[in-house]
Amino acid sequence: MKILIVEDEYQLLKTIEDFLLSEKYLVEKATDYYSAMEKTMIYDYDCILLDISLPGGSGLKILEKMKNEGKAGNIIIISAKNSLEDKILGLDLGADDYLTKPFHLSELHARIKAVLRRKQMDGKPVLLQGNLSVDFLQRQAFVENKLLKLNRKEFDMLTFFVINKNRLITKEVLAEHVWGDNIDLADNFDFVYSQVKNLRKKLKDSASGVMIENIYGIGYKMTV
Amino acid sequence: MKLINHLVLRISLVFTIVIAFWSAIYFFLQMKEIHDGNDEGLINLKQEFIAKANSISGFVENLENYNPLNIIIKEIPRAEAESMVENLATTSVYFATELEKEEVRMLATAFRCEQNGKYYHLQFFTSTVESDDLIKNMLYLLTGLWITISFTAFIAGKLIITKANKPFYKLLDELKKFRLDNRQMIDFGETNIKEYRQLNESVKKLLEKNIRIFTEQKIFIENTSHELQTPLAIVIAKLEMLLEKYQDNEYHTEEIGRILTILGRMKRLNTNLLLLSKIRNDQFPQTSPVNLREVSEAVLDEFEDLIAYKEITLEKQGTAAPVCRMNEDLAHILFTNLIKNAIAHNRQNGKIIIRYASGSIAIANSGNEAANPVFDRYQHDASNEKSSGLGLSIAQSITGLYQMEMTYHYEQMHVFTLKLPHALN
Repeated sequence: MKILIVEDEYQLLKTIEDFLLSEKYLVEKATDYYSAMEKTMIYDYDCILLDISLPGGSGLKILEKMKNEGKAGNIIIISAKNSLEDKILGLDLGADDYLTKPFHLSELHARIKAVLRRKQMDGKPVLLQGNLSVDFLQRQAFVENKLLKLNRKEFDMLTFFVINKNRLITKEVLAEHVWGDNIDLADNFDFVYSQVKNLRKKLKDSASGVMIENIYGIGYKMTV
Repeated sequence: MKLINHLVLRISLVFTIVIAFWSAIYFFLQMKEIHDGNDEGLINLKQEFIAKANSISGFVENLENYNPLNIIIKEIPRAEAESMVENLATTSVYFATELEKEEVRMLATAFRCEQNGKYYHLQFFTSTVESDDLIKNMLYLLTGLWITISFTAFIAGKLIITKANKPFYKLLDELKKFRLDNRQMIDFGETNIKEYRQLNESVKKLLEKNIRIFTEQKIFIENTSHELQTPLAIVIAKLEMLLEKYQDNEYHTEEIGRILTILGRMKRLNTNLLLLSKIRNDQFPQTSPVNLREVSEAVLDEFEDLIAYKEITLEKQGTAAPVCRMNEDLAHILFTNLIKNAIAHNRQNGKIIIRYASGSIAIANSGNEAANPVFDRYQHDASNEKSSGLGLSIAQSITGLYQMEMTYHYEQMHVFTLKLPHALN
């Protein structure tokens, strides 16, 4: 999987690169409008992370050009501007997703996975993890082909863990991913704990090989 | 009291006093003039009478016999005549024809007739203006005059002052409507009056300065919050990478986790600040009719898990589904903040009641017993580390944008009421 990161802030670029490399992606970088334009026009990428405000021009221009060239798709806009117009414009121009800075790396990862999944519609949209399989299209999870009964939020939690397996997910990141930015409440720690407990119990009851480990009280990690 | 009534009343009061005072003087002068005229007439009559009595023999005796109505002649002894002093007086005399006593002016004197050497007591009468009647008539006239003048003064004063003060009242109206966050300069209108022109210019300068500072501040806040996003993104991403790296070390993991929690707060605070300045900078211009009940229920759905977790009883009252013309995203943000607030400040096993009416929506929560009884929700609860305290500010900014009114009162529960002026049904 080849991913292009278009980001002018070097430190952020570097961190995202490190993260994606650790997830075994191939990473290309562009730090300004012209190099980004050049790279997108010459090469094909499985996914492009595109910052909008770039030295030399707007990322939206690149999107537009790509759309005109028939190269649209697989683009996630990463912008510091949480502007609705930009979001709508970006999505209209063919971007698949819009992520506002600051974001969590595990969230970025989930979004990249979703984009990649959409791209590979031809294949099976099923993710395997030990004896657990997740069907994203049907929004169903199976253990040894036996349906695991999960509610909406539990399914979201499970997929987030599966995508970020072996990675420490803090409670806040999990809560934000599953319940949205608005779940910033004082007692969400216990709340998340109780929700994870339910999911863990269901996994255990169905004799799935995956485990959700509690890491020092700050978060969780899925292991097989 | 309105300025115009204040002025007109005072002017009228001055008029009243001046006219009353002037009426009294006028009345006494007039009475004196009348009496002086009468008295002069009586003295002339006396002199003519004495001259005739002295030159014509038998004149006095004849008159004594005929006794004309306005002269009374009576013979008196010399001693009495000599002690008599001529005097003029107002007295009343009974007139048989009129069946009443009439006021008259009387000159009483004594004289010695040269024809017969006798002494006589003389009384000359002349009917005079009756002061009662005169006072009455004058009072009527003066009252009429007073009313006319006062009325005219009131009407004219009101008309003139209103017209002259038109620029002033216009300014006042415009200032009342003025809202700094609209950043719309008010319409001053034209005026020829120098003072009002100066007033308008001064107010204009003041407002321009305020609008400029306000705008600069808004842009500054927005830019700052905006610029903070990227460094925050870098720090968070870098720490998340570190967290991966130091997972074997509990101490490091916990510390990094704590830093990330704090950064999360910072991130939300910054996001909320950005949102707040965007709302105030009017960056949500598109409006459409929004069914607020639907929005509220959708938000409740989002918080369903949390409500269940806190074992909060949710009660919905009323069947109304008020529709309001506003930005749909802002409607969602508004209800998210209100409902989030109702959940966050609620206790375990608490209660939330949402009352839908055609012109208002009230969200009541049973509150946190542990919270300070002097409970001002508009202030940031310092004990609540996770709340930015901006939620209700955001809600208020949104309600302000659409002339809604948000009020808080305590009635066994904490009740936030949203009054909708533009409810379309």
